[in-house]
Amino acid sequence: MKQRITYIVQDPDSFSPEQLVVKGSSLTLNRVQAAKEQRITVGLDELPSELKKAFEQWHELHIRWASSSPYPATPPFTSRVTPGLHVFFTPHKDQPEGDLCRLLHSVFGSELKCASMSEASTKMPILSERFSMSTTSQYYSHLESLSTLVGFIQHKVCKSKACRQAAEALLSAAYVDIDYDAISHALVLNAFGATGPTTGYWDETISFESEAHSTEVGVLTHEKNPDPEDIGFGGFLTVLGQDQAPKPTRFQTPTRHYPLSSAAANYKTSFAHPTGLHPTLSLAFPSSHLTPPDSTCKLHAYFTLPSYVFLDKYQFNDALYLASHNLKRLRSIAGATDLEAPDWVTSQWGSAALFELAIPKSSETQNAQPEWNVTIPLHLRYLPAADNSHTAVPVPWPVVFWACRAEQGTKMSVNPFDRLHLGYEALFGPKTRFMHIPPIGGGNGTGGLVEWINVPVLDLRKSQWVELGTIGTVIVAFLGLCWAIFGGGKGKAKKESAKQKKKQ
Amino acid sequence: MAAFSSFFSSSRTVLSAAIALRATFLLYGLFQDAYSPIKYTDIDYFVFTDAARFIARGQSPYARDTYRYTPLLAWLLYPTTWSGLWFSFGKVLFAVGDIIAGWMMFRILRVHQGLSQERALKYASIWLLNPMVATISTRGSSEGLLGVFVTALLWAVLSRRILLTGFLLGFAVHFKIYPFIYAASIVWWLDDGSKSSPSASPVARAMKFINPQRIGVAVSSFLTFMGLNVIMYIAYGWPFLEHSYFYHLVRIDHRHNFSPYNTLLYMNSSPKVPGENHASFSELERMAFIPQILLSAIIIPLMLAKKDLSSTMLAQTWVFVTFNKVCTSQYFLWYIMFLPYYLPGSILMRSPRVGVSLLVLWIVGQAGWLQQGFQLEFNGESTFVPGLWAWSIIFFIINCSILGVVIRDIREGKAASRGVKK
Repeated sequence: MKQRITYIVQDPDSFSPEQLVVKGSSLTLNRVQAAKEQRITVGLDELPSELKKAFEQWHELHIRWASSSPYPATPPFTSRVTPGLHVFFTPHKDQPEGDLCRLLHSVFGSELKCASMSEASTKMPILSERFSMSTTSQYYSHLESLSTLVGFIQHKVCKSKACRQAAEALLSAAYVDIDYDAISHALVLNAFGATGPTTGYWDETISFESEAHSTEVGVLTHEKNPDPEDIGFGGFLTVLGQDQAPKPTRFQTPTRHYPLSSAAANYKTSFAHPTGLHPTLSLAFPSSHLTPPDSTCKLHAYFTLPSYVFLDKYQFNDALYLASHNLKRLRSIAGATDLEAPDWVTSQWGSAALFELAIPKSSETQNAQPEWNVTIPLHLRYLPAADNSHTAVPVPWPVVFWACRAEQGTKMSVNPFDRLHLGYEALFGPKTRFMHIPPIGGGNGTGGLVEWINVPVLDLRKSQWVELGTIGTVIVAFLGLCWAIFGGGKGKAKKESAKQKKKQ
Repeated sequence: MAAFSSFFSSSRTVLSAAIALRATFLLYGLFQDAYSPIKYTDIDYFVFTDAARFIARGQSPYARDTYRYTPLLAWLLYPTTWSGLWFSFGKVLFAVGDIIAGWMMFRILRVHQGLSQERALKYASIWLLNPMVATISTRGSSEGLLGVFVTALLWAVLSRRILLTGFLLGFAVHFKIYPFIYAASIVWWLDDGSKSSPSASPVARAMKFINPQRIGVAVSSFLTFMGLNVIMYIAYGWPFLEHSYFYHLVRIDHRHNFSPYNTLLYMNSSPKVPGENHASFSELERMAFIPQILLSAIIIPLMLAKKDLSSTMLAQTWVFVTFNKVCTSQYFLWYIMFLPYYLPGSILMRSPRVGVSLLVLWIVGQAGWLQQGFQLEFNGESTFVPGLWAWSIIFFIINCSILGVVIRDIREGKAASRGVKK
């Protein structure tokens, strides 16, 4: 087992080396204002046999969970995924797939819509074949909290109190990644916290546990980069039980997710009300901060849409239609795209779509409206009848980023903080740099990065007469028509027509 | 009034007006499509032309989602895959089909129902000059094309072109399934004219029923239908059967439509909350095809076809659409195309009070339903019950009442009295 803890101090001026104290084999941080990434690497043999077996069934498995609360990103941790639980995986060739749904249910919660992974997952589209890093399959579910995961780790994995405390800390993480692949035969758990637990500071002591449990702690500040495609850091590294004092360090690395220079750029997601059965999702940007960081950069939004909401790809073929929504094109769509099926016959988790967005023309930015709106017309599937008139469903915000050409694509993986398998990289070439635009909190009532919409459903409290009424009406109408065809209507009709003639 | 009547005295002016109407709509459509993000062209037209493009690339038309038609349609639209204005070829084809159908209606009214030139043109104008019909075909919906096949079918039967009748019947069923209901009425209508004596033995009567014309229609329609299916199956395999036939039999599309069964289907197919028991009449809605098929394909043809074939086909189609499990407004076109034959001698025309009130009811029924549908679709109000359900039942009752009037008219032979019967 290996542990790497990295603190990135947000404001270099607020930090001095005196805030780090090495005492024996432990390191104490005093009021360090920083983002924190904790990466734990566990050999598969160190896990309970139940888990070990579950993981061994996969060629690779990457789980990404992101909180629905907005958080500030600190370089190099600027990559983002849509809030909720994402699973990207590749099964072994020529082997039956394991029961991934059962694993997810016991680890993340039984409410996940996942009966069988072969039916619930969707195939990943690969636009760039040279990019061989991608998994074959994808799954997503809305998941508000990691409390089930924390309970699972505490009861099934932890042997020490420190472990249980560390698990508890996952509850305040902004995102958590879990990676396994058959080649390294190791499980990597990576948790990112954007700020310290209380008042934004970290006041904690990290202790050396054993030789088999190496721990390296880095406290770094972001330094203005010397190379346009690199990011640089300076700070202190401490290997617990080995170093008597923090060792100064300085390094630079190419990075796949590059910080955005314009700090004021952001976006907000909302739905036009009433949402009806065809909700229109809207992305609002302050127009003045929507200039491409580089001439090769194009603005994209990546949507993860649960099965009850979908988009009709055929709507996005027309240039005028796209332009009226400030869209450039629908670059990719995969998953449950059936245009007619109700939600209860859709076994797949949903669909993922990548749009290229239009940006205001540079001549417009000066005197145009302060807000730039991009709209995406969506459609809702019918949801099951319920003892209510509406069913509320969550729709997570998309992630929005500039995708730019990079000169040194292959070297990006040497970055010790490189983060892969976010769903959208495979839709770009390997030489692509991503510059994320941060979402700013909003959300209808939740303050978070998830919109809830009310879907009208058949209200079972009012439907008791539907069955009898429908069948009764059809039978009466059938008999009535039979009577018109066979019955005594003729005599009466003759009389009536005689009357008619008299009148005329 | 004089100008009005002189307009309808010349088939050339009516046809020119019909062509001008469609040409205007076509050009307007090109204009709207070019300058507005909201398209004039029907969504289905993009489905057909996408399917044609797949065919042009040597692929299956079923590679296009929601293409649920015979591959013949995609082949017919092959020229739309050529560049430029050729994209509108299909709309022109549908509009030309529309006009040919209208012209055939005029000929049927003139020749087989003995109407004067002017009256025949007036009634054919229900189709020829109907803006709804012109809109549907110029927007690129294939319902207009169906009109030409079904009208040609009626014309072929009335002029006793037996092999052509069989061919058109087989083709129409291959194209859209529902015209199979006309088989019984056509076969029943094709007697040899002489009454069988009541004393004849059952065997003799059966022998008399099986006349050469009936055999001709049965054999030629069956061969056409099966021939086309075999060819399409060989060319496109299982997806052909799945999408153009089985889909229509097992579809689980519960999105709101005019059918009286719609709410019930939504309710009974949606998963039940475990442990809760909703009293159900053991899914009786599965039996919905029984009244529909009994009336439209058996009872109405056998009881009425010999009195007036074209009006009987109107009643059959109207029943089929009204009792169907799925019903959208384009299905109304299926029976509207038979109205010109029925209306001239009908009570609806003889008594304007009856005619106008039934027309108003028919429109009110749709308007009430559409208003509820709008509240659901765009305002997100849960109008499934009672709103949408009640209006679909009301609209159903209105349709059945009109049908009652139509059927009584046919029984009374009002249709026969208005012209020569063959």
